[in-house]
Amino acid sequence: MPTVGEFKLITAGRLIDAKGGPPIDNGAILIHGSSIVAVGRSGEISAPEGADVQILDYPGKTIMPGMVDCHTHHNGFGDGRAGDELTLLDDEILTLQSARNARSSLYSGVTSIRENGPKNYTMFRLRDAINQGITIGPRMVLCGRPVAIIGGHMGYFGSEVTGPNESRAMTRQLIKEGADYIKVTATGGTTRTSFPLKPSFTVEELVAVTDEAHKFGKLTATHCVSSQGIANSLDADVDMIIHCVYKDGDGTDTFRQDIADRIGEKGVYVNPTLHVGRSGRWKLEHKKAAQGLTSEETATLEATYRNNEVRMEDSRKMIEMGLKVITGSDSSWGDYQLGNTVYETELLVEAGYTPMQGVHSVTSDAAKALGLDDLVGTLEAGKEADIIIVDGDPSQDINALWNVDEVFFAGEVVDRGSFDSKTTVRQPPAF
Amino acid sequence: MGSDFKILKAARLIDGSGGPVQERAAILLEGDTIRQVGTEETVAAPEGASVEEVDYGDKTILPGLIDSHVHLIGIGDGRAGDELTTLDDEILTLQAARNARAHLYSGVTTVRDCGAKNRTTFLLRNAVEMGITPAPRLLLAGRPMAIVGGHLSYFGIQATGPDECRAGVRQLVKEGADFIKITATGGSTRTSHALRPSFNVDELSAICDEAHKFGIHAAAHCASSQGMINALEAGIDTIIHGIHKEADGTSTYRPEISSRIARTGVFLNATLAGARVRIEMLEDKMESDGLTNQEDVQLDYMMAEYETRLEHFLRMREAGVVMVAGSDSAWGNYPMGDHQTEIETHVIGGMAPMEAIVATTMDAARSCWIDDRVGTLEEGKLADILVVDGNPVDRIEDLRNIADVYQSGEAVNRGDFV
Repeated sequence: MPTVGEFKLITAGRLIDAKGGPPIDNGAILIHGSSIVAVGRSGEISAPEGADVQILDYPGKTIMPGMVDCHTHHNGFGDGRAGDELTLLDDEILTLQSARNARSSLYSGVTSIRENGPKNYTMFRLRDAINQGITIGPRMVLCGRPVAIIGGHMGYFGSEVTGPNESRAMTRQLIKEGADYIKVTATGGTTRTSFPLKPSFTVEELVAVTDEAHKFGKLTATHCVSSQGIANSLDADVDMIIHCVYKDGDGTDTFRQDIADRIGEKGVYVNPTLHVGRSGRWKLEHKKAAQGLTSEETATLEATYRNNEVRMEDSRKMIEMGLKVITGSDSSWGDYQLGNTVYETELLVEAGYTPMQGVHSVTSDAAKALGLDDLVGTLEAGKEADIIIVDGDPSQDINALWNVDEVFFAGEVVDRGSFDSKTTVRQPPAF
Repeated sequence: MGSDFKILKAARLIDGSGGPVQERAAILLEGDTIRQVGTEETVAAPEGASVEEVDYGDKTILPGLIDSHVHLIGIGDGRAGDELTTLDDEILTLQAARNARAHLYSGVTTVRDCGAKNRTTFLLRNAVEMGITPAPRLLLAGRPMAIVGGHLSYFGIQATGPDECRAGVRQLVKEGADFIKITATGGSTRTSHALRPSFNVDELSAICDEAHKFGIHAAAHCASSQGMINALEAGIDTIIHGIHKEADGTSTYRPEISSRIARTGVFLNATLAGARVRIEMLEDKMESDGLTNQEDVQLDYMMAEYETRLEHFLRMREAGVVMVAGSDSAWGNYPMGDHQTEIETHVIGGMAPMEAIVATTMDAARSCWIDDRVGTLEEGKLADILVVDGNPVDRIEDLRNIADVYQSGEAVNRGDFV
């Protein structure tokens, strides 16, 4: 048996610490157990005299922090099925699917996730199982179930409430069960009984949730696919706006500079979820090429083109304003499968981020948005050794994030199986 | 439309029936089915068909292994069933998925699960059918039939009287049970009595009768002699453990029970390895850290028990009892993914390697009532195939040297960790 060093010294062509500076050429990082001990240039850092050290060299490659995905749905399949159907499956099956998704995302280089809405106890149970060594997955920031109004978006996952008292009680209940943050659906969404263009909770109800969550030191995030929901959320001091779709109650697309300004003033994070829309478009485009579309599908595709464009345009404006826009994939919702977080980052770069800003949006900035920045998100002494090695330089070409060569989770190399095993998680552009 | 033919070649082929080893062997597969078994010269795909050929050189082809006794939800870390059952169903289902994968990747293409909590294994099978996770062919009991407080009763069924027994079987069949597992004596369950029978004969008869009515078989856990007698009386199909022990705990071999088992064609799954694994673990601990007094006593007791079990194993075989391999992992300290240890223990117990192979292929399939589909390599059977390095007829340990596993004619991607 080879002697595995207590220390690991990893060296590579460059290192991105995600703290804001340029890549460090000939970068090196020293790990002890699960923690980072030192970061710098190769040759400048070394293990203490006489220590047992394992040396790992990745010539020409890039050392960077493991990715952080601020928005996942681990219960999901990403095969186009609606949430209304997904929720009909047994909890045990949803838990197995969640475990599979957890492995996929970890193998793809995502070492932390924030889950945005599973059914019942499924994600809490998955985390228990991971802690028991039954299966593996990234670090998890869990909401348990999203808080919804009766019939509201994701109400089917198990937490429908009415009024400030029930909203407060549900917040306490979720925290009791182990929630790390509180997710609220502040407008309707794809849920059949919900109204995407209308706000769901009143401001008073939202305030009850955010106040209670903040009391326990927990962050909040609201699903908002129309403008009034964003405005209400800002009134209630929500910490992250998800989707952040600027749409009036009649469905008109109107970018609300006033709302965007308030987001900026309050320092609220924005998770635009651009690729989940594009993945639906890709699916229709693929069907169009393969077998043609029905007239209804053709209309949907047209609407999707327009919608994708508006969303890109609005995101561009928010990025130009310097809002805190981060990567949250929304996979495996709709047609977007977990293990493919990079598609979202790719679109943020297309919307105006430099590749390096794109890297920050899926590492350091994402970690800050989740309140995980004391633990992960950058490579610096004292943080957890969640590290990926990528082929290429993502600060020049964001697509390099697809080429994950090795994943270290809490200082240990993740065994991702065979080449096939590693590559099957990639969802091709035209499927 | 071009058919999907494969020809696998290897230095030898063991067909699972116990017949002579085929040298310079070849086997033709069409889709999920075996079409021809023979030699390199005799086996050929139909004229003009597209065929994929794999030459395994000096390796051995044999049927995929069948483990007739597993507990998919088990962890194999020594925890008692009484504790295991306190875990949430979602967690037990995740563990079952992990075990199923481990067994499949280690060469086991069919398992018979002899008891799980609530609906966990049925839901695992749903998930397998949905493509969420890989698994061997699953023959499931769901929850075992137990008396109030009986062995494994914490998994969810406690029945009293013939009517409740019949209802229990019907409920399990409705949920998807492929066979019925009964605990005919107590066992490790704290509220049960291992040396006493549990169900009465009329209750056992109701269970067996109802199972047979639906065309499925019944297998009974018997940790003492009276349980075996009762189960035989009721028309049981497989006796599990088959421990010759009197109600006062003395190990008295009862030849009349063995001859009745043999005469009626009932199968016996001896589950020998669990004790061996535990003994080896204690011996290792004795070497490294030393044993506590309690462990020391346990080791002595287990070694004596194990010797008796091996001796009875031999005598039952001499009496003509058909022994089938079933590991009983991941119960006790025996994790899944290591059915080979049970097979090797059969050889320690006196079987020739070829007999031990038959006990985990053809005979295991017969005992599970699936020998029309799997268990031997012959025309018309499903192509569940194992390829190993070396020759397990000379060296049974070679069953561990997995080169490839085929499930329904497809090579299992054993490097798939997703």
